Amino acid sequence: MPDTGADAPPALSLSGLSRSFGDTRALDDVSLDIREGEFFTVVGPSGSGKTTLLRILAGLDRPTAGTLHLRGRDIAGLPPNKRPTAMVFQSLALFDHRSVGENVAFALKMRGVGAEARRTKALELLDLVRLPRDYHDRPVTQCSGGERQRVALARALASDPEILFFDEPLSALDYRLRKTLEVELRDLQKRTGRTFVYITHSLEEAMVMSDRIGIMRDGRLVQVGDPATIYGRPRDRFVARFMGEVNVFEIAGGRLPAFDAPAPAQDGWLIVRPEALAPDAGDVQFDATVTDIYRLGSRVQMHLDTAAGTLIAELPASTRLAEGDAARFGFAVADTHRVAE
Amino acid sequence: MRPGPLFALPVAVFLAVGFAMPILIVAWYSLMAPRTFDLTTVFTLANYRAAFTEGYGQPFFWSLGLAALTTLTCLLIAWPTAKVLHAHAGRVATIATALVALPIFVSESVRLFGLSLFLMPGGGIFAGSMRALFGVSIGTILNTKFAVYLGMVYIHLPFMLFPVLLGVALIPPDRVEAARDLGAGRWQVLREIELPLALPGLVIGSLLTFVLCIGANAEAAILGGRAITVVTTAIEQRFNYAQDWPMGAALTMLMIAVTAAVVFPALARVDLNRLIRR
Amino acid sequence: MIRRLGLVWLTALIALMYLPILSVILASLSTSRYMRFPHRQWSTGAYVDAVSQDQTWILHATSFKIAALVAVLSLILATFGAMAFARYDWRGRSWFQKAVVLPIFFPQPVLGLALLLFLTAIGVTPSWRSAVFAHMVWILPIVTLVISIRLFGYDPAQEDAARDLGATRWQTFREVTLPHLAPGMVSGGLFAFLLSWSNLPLSIFTTGADTTLPEYMFTRVATNYAPVISAIAVIATLGSVALGLVLLLALRLRRRS
Repeated sequence: MPDTGADAPPALSLSGLSRSFGDTRALDDVSLDIREGEFFTVVGPSGSGKTTLLRILAGLDRPTAGTLHLRGRDIAGLPPNKRPTAMVFQSLALFDHRSVGENVAFALKMRGVGAEARRTKALELLDLVRLPRDYHDRPVTQCSGGERQRVALARALASDPEILFFDEPLSALDYRLRKTLEVELRDLQKRTGRTFVYITHSLEEAMVMSDRIGIMRDGRLVQVGDPATIYGRPRDRFVARFMGEVNVFEIAGGRLPAFDAPAPAQDGWLIVRPEALAPDAGDVQFDATVTDIYRLGSRVQMHLDTAAGTLIAELPASTRLAEGDAARFGFAVADTHRVAE
Repeated sequence: MRPGPLFALPVAVFLAVGFAMPILIVAWYSLMAPRTFDLTTVFTLANYRAAFTEGYGQPFFWSLGLAALTTLTCLLIAWPTAKVLHAHAGRVATIATALVALPIFVSESVRLFGLSLFLMPGGGIFAGSMRALFGVSIGTILNTKFAVYLGMVYIHLPFMLFPVLLGVALIPPDRVEAARDLGAGRWQVLREIELPLALPGLVIGSLLTFVLCIGANAEAAILGGRAITVVTTAIEQRFNYAQDWPMGAALTMLMIAVTAAVVFPALARVDLNRLIRR
Repeated sequence: MIRRLGLVWLTALIALMYLPILSVILASLSTSRYMRFPHRQWSTGAYVDAVSQDQTWILHATSFKIAALVAVLSLILATFGAMAFARYDWRGRSWFQKAVVLPIFFPQPVLGLALLLFLTAIGVTPSWRSAVFAHMVWILPIVTLVISIRLFGYDPAQEDAARDLGATRWQTFREVTLPHLAPGMVSGGLFAFLLSWSNLPLSIFTTGADTTLPEYMFTRVATNYAPVISAIAVIATLGSVALGLVLLLALRLRRRS
């Protein structure tokens, strides 16, 4: 297990990175230390600047301001082929005119490695990403979606990069395949001990794989933390909403006007997760009517019609409540989280 | 310099010199005094006036009329052919498409030469065969306007066929099925679904055929005898026999104007990127 | 029933399209000074004549020189042009695209005349060299389109990936961009050669004292018929048809892969 402690030297250190396209600031003063051997995921909605950030880290784009250090070395001016990093592209960008083996060993060929050594290394990498060895000579166009992912991954690993970048490579796959590959990717990262920087718009994906998550919005990095912190202690309403469906209540004058109950702070907003709501529980209680029920496997989600508007609750599937039922719902203030904005 | 404009530069420069410049020179010549050979800054519209008053209407009329008629004929032949080719997948379609495409690479002078040999009276391939096989002597259509029309259709059909084939390929089969499912008859499917969807191909094909036909002169020269003077021939005569370059240039400009009037509006309506992407 | 009708229509159409070409072949199989079909005496004498005449080979050489140069030069320029046409998105691209296709939609004899006037105005004596230039005005746009078709199915991220994996700009071009373009360049080059080889309307006005095969046939057909003309036409066409078949086969293979 690699050292992911806060005292390890940063693998990648970003300071004040900005990128403007004409009048729009795609990236706005981003500072961040990515630790050696960690799985770091940048999450944000489309247009939040995460792809721009990744392209700058890989050297495919230049920042308009800021510095970028890799293990203490300034790499801001290096072209992509001189950086000890490799990327798995969103479109995968496989070389369609080449075989699987040629794709995988491309970086080695660029370095002048001989054909025999390339083959040996390519076969090893196929093992590593769990592709059969006889795929080596197959045209890459004959591979399925999941196999192409593995080829792209092996190709990026071949250059023995210090850091691997991932640009939403799983977004085009179906749900089950994506789940399988998420777990494998996490496993691979642990086995190889390399630093992975992953970007995605799917929080679910980020939660499964990451050591730490950075949330981006409008070109800015708004919060960085481990999954539990981001989930449990979002910095603001945007992060809270981005992490999933939540109930948000305004706090005014130390009280919750929606329920006429005392609040844990003078002002701001109270974030109440759907699973914090339960029938006949907690210190803030209110009358509710169940309007809709959605089954999510072991749990159910329901929409509640209340004096405070429509709220969302998540209960175990064993609940006896049905659509149209009236009940008294509540939450414990201790299970909630208050944000200033 | 950014890569886009940089890569565009060689082609852009070549076409500026090889396409735009010649047209400018022709425009310049067309404003010179009749029967002069120098380019000066003394401009006159005398040639254009002469073009409209001295009986050049006839060649223009024949060229445009023949072009329109040929385009229409080619369209009527190409549509069912493209549909048949599209409906037959596999070996038959491949061979048929190749056979239809191949004549494009046979020079039009060879093909027209062949057509004239075929139509020749007395000892021609057709007349000779008829006499030898059935003992009948037949006349000939060679050296008539009809022969020129036939030659035009023959030469230009492939130029219509391939864009139309592309157009037919733009029709998703499920749209036709959906229309039929919703109660459209064969004719309604053609009018409401197939023709509009295939339109880009039809427009490109018609445009190409029409433009090539406006300038066509080999058909009239080889098959028409003296039956027709097409506009290109009239212009050429101005340049060569009459040695009146400015007059020839003015007629050329008029032809370019007619062509542009047809090409620009039509081309503006077609999304080239979409058609090429097929 | 409708299917069968379609095949009958197709067969008839193809037969009609080849009748004139067949006629040339039939006419060439005689040495009679006058065209009298069916020939009293079938012979391949016209071919012997054609092969033994210097003129046949001069005509072929002229046509070949022009076509080969047109193919090579168009290919080089069109490869750049196609990158601007389809690979990069840049301001002015839609104007460039329209300007490139314009010469294709331009009457060729008019283009030939305009080029002749232009050449004379700038003091160039027309010859086979100027014909190369003239052919390219019409053929370069076509080759650019042919290569562009190839580029529209291209993921530019492949170039980023190559750079990211350590390839220099030149290596990226050689290892990724060029192999992807190669099939389009092959068909583009063949197209250029064949279109130049068979071109009549541009050659008529721009070759000056030199004569290409299509020009020769055009001028000799109406006036001085002789079986040897048919023989030369057949010889000239055979090569181009063979090359055309190669092209169609290449296109077909590409679609399958």
